Amino acid sequence: MMETLLFLATPFAACVILVLILCYFGNHILSRGVIFVDIAVAQVAALGTMIGILLGASEGSLFSLLISLGFTLIIVSAFAVSKFQHKELSQEVIIGIIYCMALAIAYLLVDSVPGGSNFVQKTFTGAILWVTWSDILKTGLLFAVVGIVHLLIYQKTLAITENRKSEMTAAAVRLYDLIFYITFGFVVVESVKIGGIFVVFMFLIGPAAIAMFLASTWRMRFLLSWSAGLVGSFFGILLSYKFNFPNGPTIVCILGAMLLTTALVSRKRVNQTSNT
Amino acid sequence: MEALLFMSAPFVACLTLIGIHGYFGIHVLKRGIIFIDIAMAQIAALGVTFAFIFHIDHESPWTYPVSLAFVSLAAWFFSSLKCKQPRICMEAIIGISYAVAATAAVLIIDKAAGSHEHTKEMLIGSILWVQWPEIIKSVLVYSLIGGFHVLFRHKFIPLSEDYEAAIKSGMKTRVWDFLFYLSLGIVVMHSVRIGGILIVFAFLIIPSSISALFSTKWLPRIIIGWLTGTVVSLLGLILSWHKDVPSGPAVVLFLGIFLVLAIFARRIIKQKVTQGAS
Repeated sequence: MMETLLFLATPFAACVILVLILCYFGNHILSRGVIFVDIAVAQVAALGTMIGILLGASEGSLFSLLISLGFTLIIVSAFAVSKFQHKELSQEVIIGIIYCMALAIAYLLVDSVPGGSNFVQKTFTGAILWVTWSDILKTGLLFAVVGIVHLLIYQKTLAITENRKSEMTAAAVRLYDLIFYITFGFVVVESVKIGGIFVVFMFLIGPAAIAMFLASTWRMRFLLSWSAGLVGSFFGILLSYKFNFPNGPTIVCILGAMLLTTALVSRKRVNQTSNT
Repeated sequence: MEALLFMSAPFVACLTLIGIHGYFGIHVLKRGIIFIDIAMAQIAALGVTFAFIFHIDHESPWTYPVSLAFVSLAAWFFSSLKCKQPRICMEAIIGISYAVAATAAVLIIDKAAGSHEHTKEMLIGSILWVQWPEIIKSVLVYSLIGGFHVLFRHKFIPLSEDYEAAIKSGMKTRVWDFLFYLSLGIVVMHSVRIGGILIVFAFLIIPSSISALFSTKWLPRIIIGWLTGTVVSLLGLILSWHKDVPSGPAVVLFLGIFLVLAIFARRIIKQKVTQGAS
């Protein structure tokens, strides 16, 4: 029993730090309607790694890490700063285009990079079960720094998400958006290494959507999404251990089921209140 | 001459794809459901995996109806949720369905050997090796669906333009919404088999983005999309033939280049117009 608990403590701790940071970002992402931004960022980072290897960096070295991160941050900053305005070409469309261009270029390079297709595939599966305490500590520290930055700009970010842009100058909006997306880029690249793309996506959107069904104030939305994320991870890890399922997919499916239940229950409630 | 013969099937396949997706892309952009095709493809693939439990092989004729059933279920789900919960945008629901469908397949059968190759095939496809019977089958399906959409264009187009107004006009929005998602789902099922998700996604989003820069009317936008699609398919396939690179990504690359050119062209036109006015 004790042994099991110890064995499951690391993946759960990994989930806790992911949930804490991703559910915060998720509420903003959902309200801004840029749902697939994390998948695009992960794809750009994978392309960055491949470019690094083409430039002669060996896989896993600091140089390759810096190139990948640098490349990702350039693309993300360009996205944040450009503020391309068009009625039909929403930010989500731009994200879709960035995603498919990054994927296409990665596959054009695949044959020139040794083991190329692995870099695209690697983003799909995470390694929650295999994280070590030192991974958790390192990632936790990085996320803590990001968290502190966001505490400092909490009101500004909220104003941009709620589209109250008249309160700020155009330059300020760009600056705070740049900080938002750069920190988000860091968080996604690190989280995808641990959880894989689907877990990260679900932690971002799932709990935030559950909270949106049930609460209207930001404070309640953050609290509810954190709780939902933690509950989902806890049962996900427990079930995957009991029935020998892979971790990540179990967590994703449980959070999906939780969201579906919430949607159905709150729909009923809406119907009832509108009847009375 | 040999190259021409070899390239004719992939080129016709590209034209078929651009024909139907150039139209659907405008709907997708207007509704803001950018990643719908990836979700639908994943749900259809989940159907294939589900059939696998009952020992129905990939090649079996039963895979198709099972996939179709999954796509219909998803279409019903998307169309019934939309009316009730405007607070949560459709794109989020689509994204979550995508994540759940992708991971549920992993839970059903633990990753089998060679699944990496399978993911790669689903992503980038192999349009270079497409066979004529597959193309003819798709052309038939697309024509039926396209004809259906032309016939009921007074339903489908207003529904994508303004959902609230469509409800007020007394249209049976849930039924038409279901038919929209179902037809798009069937199209995606076939297209992914021909070209892979990447090219389908690009054909859906990029030509309609380019045409959005120049026009707001449906017919000119469809024509702009078709023209761009034809030119990039030709360029992409030529590049792929000469440089021996995968053809899907090559076509997508040219689509991206054309989009950037289109953005610059629009800037220049705008400047000329404002100069002319002053």
